[in-house]
Amino acid sequence: MQQLLARPDIWQLASGQRRPRTGISTGYRGLDALLAGHGWPRAATTELLVDKAGIGEMSLILPTLAELTRQGRMVILVNPPHIPYAPALAQAGVQLEKLLILHPRGQRDQLWAAEQSLQSGACGALIQWQGKETHADKDLRRLQLAARDGDCLHFHFRPGSCAQTPSPAALRLQLKSDGEQLALHLFKQLSGKSGQRLHLARNPDLVRQDQPLH
Amino acid sequence: MLWLCIQLPKLPLEALVRAHRAGDDAPLAVTQNSLIIEANNAAYTHNIEPGLSIATACAYCAELQLLDRDREREEQLLQHLAQWAYSFTPVVSPRSAESEKNQPDSNFACLYLEISGSLKAHRGLAPLLQQLGKELHKMRISHSMGLGHSPSAAHLLSQLPEHRQWLAETRSAPTPQQWRQWISFAPSKFLDCSHTAITKLYACGIKRVSQLLAIPLSEVGGRFGHSFIDYLARLNGTRPDPIPSFEPPAEFDSELFFPSPLDNSEQLLFPAGRLVRELCRQLQRRQLYSQRLCWTLDYGSRGSQQVTVDISQPLLDPQRLIALTKLQFERVTLKEPVQALALKCQQLQAIESHSLREDFFDEGSKQHESYQLIDKLKARLGHQALSAVTLKESYLPEQAWQNADSLTLHSKARGHQLTPVHAPRPNWLLSRPDRIQQRDHKLFYDGELRLLQGPERIDGYWWQHHRHARDYYIARGEQGSLYWVFQDLTSEHWFLHGVYS
Repeated sequence: MQQLLARPDIWQLASGQRRPRTGISTGYRGLDALLAGHGWPRAATTELLVDKAGIGEMSLILPTLAELTRQGRMVILVNPPHIPYAPALAQAGVQLEKLLILHPRGQRDQLWAAEQSLQSGACGALIQWQGKETHADKDLRRLQLAARDGDCLHFHFRPGSCAQTPSPAALRLQLKSDGEQLALHLFKQLSGKSGQRLHLARNPDLVRQDQPLH
Repeated sequence: MLWLCIQLPKLPLEALVRAHRAGDDAPLAVTQNSLIIEANNAAYTHNIEPGLSIATACAYCAELQLLDRDREREEQLLQHLAQWAYSFTPVVSPRSAESEKNQPDSNFACLYLEISGSLKAHRGLAPLLQQLGKELHKMRISHSMGLGHSPSAAHLLSQLPEHRQWLAETRSAPTPQQWRQWISFAPSKFLDCSHTAITKLYACGIKRVSQLLAIPLSEVGGRFGHSFIDYLARLNGTRPDPIPSFEPPAEFDSELFFPSPLDNSEQLLFPAGRLVRELCRQLQRRQLYSQRLCWTLDYGSRGSQQVTVDISQPLLDPQRLIALTKLQFERVTLKEPVQALALKCQQLQAIESHSLREDFFDEGSKQHESYQLIDKLKARLGHQALSAVTLKESYLPEQAWQNADSLTLHSKARGHQLTPVHAPRPNWLLSRPDRIQQRDHKLFYDGELRLLQGPERIDGYWWQHHRHARDYYIARGEQGSLYWVFQDLTSEHWFLHGVYS
């Protein structure tokens, strides 16, 4: 019985509130409460399905990244869509000397670099962006296993159309904007409930509406 | 003073075939002026020996491979061996092979080592000689040794079979009387002088050095010249015997030549491994490390190709260096068959004790792991695929950050830390500002943009030609995305510059 209870892939309905924190805090209380480990699943892939940049998708993971760099762990960005802007990252508390940006050419090199980094154990979090190319299911599985071996957080930004196809990720979140706020839809979670929706407000400094000057 | 002379009789052959595997046994011979001057063991079984003409040799053995003698490569190999010997003793002197015109070598290349200061470190003479012999054997260099109280004496005795026999069994250095006995016992043909002088000696009936030493010196001088007298005095130990001392360059440079060119990069790994192991042995002895390995693939007359491997930390483990090299070689497509592989390391740095210290605590090993990862990524993706960002002091948004070398990734935080501006800044900056369409006072970028906040005026460099005057706003797109847009005050165009992701 004890062995059965300890298995992570068996979800116990009754013990929802008493579970200890096994994940890595997201920095957002509302989101922590929804997640099975009260945080991002440790040593696993988290898929973030986003169609539109600029709705706050990076702000969602920045608190975690800042915390990791403060602990001296390395954070790697693989093929980010634009230049990560140093002043903004520094404001968010990211230690820039722990941030490494990779620009591998071609999909093979990109997958190789991601897998090596995840496996190495030197890296605290790896963030990957999927562009137009499609990843085969076995590649996603390999990345997930590499993240498990290297005890590394793996965030994978993918286009919203991927929601239809299954994926081995431990957590899948769909991110949209409802005009003012970031709307999360949690539609897959290992060993936890899924289907919840959550709205997170954006930074009030950004969305403050000034009176026009003229 | 205790001088060891290491004779290298087969250097002309070894300089050319060192890259071969041990199992290769095709008969090979090195030629010079249409004479065979050196042959390998497989050729010796076919009765091919130095001094035969090429025609005779080919008649003995039809599949004999002939290689032209390459003096430059020999010289390189000799320098390389001198560097190796330098790790045993600080007084080393290499001597190249000498030959008179159109003759086979009268003297083989050799190395002189002054070993009186190294005995204690190696716990005596016998272990030191064994160690030297073992390493030469590993490098596949055939050699013979002689021990003497002066370089000339050592050179003479290294040719004497009885002395070599004794040297293999000895435990301690001989006494001066023993040396005198050895020297006087030696045949005159081993003397280090010209052929004509030796034929003259034999013509006089002087077959052993003892007979020569019995003649009064003035007589000898009258017959053989002053330099010969000087040589005898140095041999005897009555006069000092100076030789040029070798200074190792602060770099590593070694090359392997392939008699049969290699045409795929996997075959390169074996010789590369051998070079890396040589490098590591040398670096370890001299307590240096190199931050860059430069491999040169030599296509002979068709040029060459450079492959560099960067290493971010002091690393003396040959296995890991070979792994990094392998990653690089996998990316290389060989344009031509490779004839030689060279490894160069310039700018060797001294290892500081604190950089090699590995602690049992997490920090050290994490650091170590991240260095390993960075090296691996660099080896496969290339140097330019890795970058880091740092802050920079500037008014202009696009100049408030700069690319940093990823090697600074783990440097300790500098004392002077820049503080970023306190205005809300976007996480993404576009590499080039993107033009926004305007129609009747409305902005369109992926739907209509609504300005939320602003303007924040950034007006810099007005004292220079290209003034940057911009009004920055935060705008929201129709789908809820937040953008950082600006209006250029000189042209009144609108641009998108960042994304608040």
